[in-house]
Amino acid sequence: MESAVVTQDITKQFGELTAVDKINLSIESREIFGLIGPNGAGKTTLVRMLTTVLPPTDGTARIAGFDIRHDPDHVRRSIGVVSQASTVDVELTAWENMNIYAKYYGVPTETRKERIKELLEIVGLADRAGFTVGSYSGGMKRRLELVRSLIHEPKVLFLDEPTTGLDPQARNAVLEYLRELHKRQDITIVLTTHYLEEAESLCDRLAVVDYGKVVALGTSTELKRNATGGDIVEAEVSPLPNEALEALKTSKFALEVKKRENMLTVLVKSGAEAVPRIVELVDSKGGKVRSITLRAPTLDDVFLHFTGRSIREDTYVTNKRFVSSWGAMRR
Amino acid sequence: MKGALWVCERDIRKFLRQPATMLGAVVGPFLTLILLGFAFGGAVTHAPVAVVRESYGPISTNFVDIITNQQNCVYGGVDCANAYNLIDVSDLGAAQSMLKAGAVKAVVYIPIGFDQSGANSSVVSVYLDNTDPISAAAISGLMTQAASEITAHVQITPPPDPLVTVNLDNIYREVLYIEFMAPGSLIQSIMFASIIGGGISLLFDKQRGIIEGYLVTPLKRIEIVVGVLLAGVTKAMFSATTMLILAIVFAGVRPMADIVGFVLIFFTLFLTSMGLISMMSAYAVRAPAPEVYQFTAFPINLILYFTSGAVYPIQGFPPWMRTIASINPEAYAIHALRDLMYKGAGPLAVIGDFAFLALFTGIMIILATLAFKRAL
Repeated sequence: MESAVVTQDITKQFGELTAVDKINLSIESREIFGLIGPNGAGKTTLVRMLTTVLPPTDGTARIAGFDIRHDPDHVRRSIGVVSQASTVDVELTAWENMNIYAKYYGVPTETRKERIKELLEIVGLADRAGFTVGSYSGGMKRRLELVRSLIHEPKVLFLDEPTTGLDPQARNAVLEYLRELHKRQDITIVLTTHYLEEAESLCDRLAVVDYGKVVALGTSTELKRNATGGDIVEAEVSPLPNEALEALKTSKFALEVKKRENMLTVLVKSGAEAVPRIVELVDSKGGKVRSITLRAPTLDDVFLHFTGRSIREDTYVTNKRFVSSWGAMRR
Repeated sequence: MKGALWVCERDIRKFLRQPATMLGAVVGPFLTLILLGFAFGGAVTHAPVAVVRESYGPISTNFVDIITNQQNCVYGGVDCANAYNLIDVSDLGAAQSMLKAGAVKAVVYIPIGFDQSGANSSVVSVYLDNTDPISAAAISGLMTQAASEITAHVQITPPPDPLVTVNLDNIYREVLYIEFMAPGSLIQSIMFASIIGGGISLLFDKQRGIIEGYLVTPLKRIEIVVGVLLAGVTKAMFSATTMLILAIVFAGVRPMADIVGFVLIFFTLFLTSMGLISMMSAYAVRAPAPEVYQFTAFPINLILYFTSGAVYPIQGFPPWMRTIASINPEAYAIHALRDLMYKGAGPLAVIGDFAFLALFTGIMIILATLAFKRAL
């Protein structure tokens, strides 16, 4: 059976800027696939091309066997899309929102009713179906959008930042329902996210995108192993003489040393062996280790390794942008 | 093309859930009609006029009787009331001071020797406060009329010179100023609906990503365009119909149209809605920023409204305004509506207006389609 999504050198240029640069991906059927990367890395542009909103400058992709360039209509019938911004109509009831979408997709009247009921039940909105969406919480709106995009039984579901702007509780609920939907429906899910815990717990495979390219691809375990190749030691050192830092950087057991004020992040092959040696080395050069912790690498370390940025800094920027664009809309 | 219906259905459902948003399109034109219509349309009544009488002969007595009893109205038809209240003042100087102080609107001066000088050369002087041209015109009209009555009275047959008489004959029933204004208000409610229900709701949808959301569905672009315009026209027709009912109920507008006339009235409203909705939708999706649209839409409305002949006949415009009127679709729509509402005109009388409106609407639909294609 053909993969759900296959891209071939797909490229998008906006003038001089190459937003997506010859990406080749193959996403298997029923896979949950995550695209992670800093803001402006090209994730959303990639998704917009795959969902036929933007035509690629070069290359192409096949979704559920249909070419996005030559057969966009069949692609549209095979995909569901949940965009980052909320697009439900708050003046209408959940039922009306679902029903009008079913009409857009030409879902026959006989099956429409049953399908809407079933989907609303899955995300726990059946008893609120007759209420206008304006009375819904952010999480409920998101859940409604989730099932609205499934009304025509798509093969592939695209989710752009599905939990951005939700509080942790609502986010967890959305993720739970997403898992439930995936379990019940024969569907492939492609999502972009800023929440690494979310990507790690939900996705079968992840692609780290930066500057329009896939810089790493694999399961989260694979990524962590490939990116770091060992454990991470974090040490607070004060005072921290330059000689101590230099000695650490040139030592054989430290694979990578990063410094941020008094915090040292040292990547080592084996943490247990490295801890006493770090303390000893810093001590011999006139420094003093105030605290030291050993931990297994996280996706954040992977992210830092591949993109040179911490995703947390990036998330902060994104949230701020989200707020300001919301403000612009209200004006 | 079914998709267009669903796109339209969504918009209409939203609109029905909150019709108050569209009533906003009716409130402005309705208030304008009521306030402007009643303020401008009324006859001048009880304007204070000073009478300074220095001659007490039969002719002057007769003249004063006539102006005292004059129960005419300046603007025919409305309930007749005294156009002015006469105040006796003994001294011309004092009367003129009152005029300058604004205590009276005019001074009627009957000088010494008026009754002796004979009818042909007796002169009554009327001093007018012409800073209020409307009252001044009303008073001077009535004084001239009174003088002509007295002349006829004193001139016993045969008259020395042939008298020219003007026979006024209204060929239609009396049309009040507020009725004259009403067609403009109908068109203005369509324009407001186009600005709010057409452009602004489209801007919101665009900003919220709903327009882009359409693109990932199997809806064709042309279906989206047609659906959005169709919904806009429905909303505009709702506004115009509401406005028409309000005008009939509260402004005393009485359309003199039969069934065919009403069909033609609604056809005029429909053509205008289609044209203005397309125009404002095209502008909204192509405007450089939502703010630009919001700040410019209402001035555009003002220009179209006041150059359309809605409140004053185009024949009274300076040339530059006439030029604008000649290409203003609202002017043609209002002209057609007046013919249909007050003359009971048939289709032949308004065919020229319809031709212009159809041309305008056609061009705007093409523009809207192109604008959407580029914006989508």
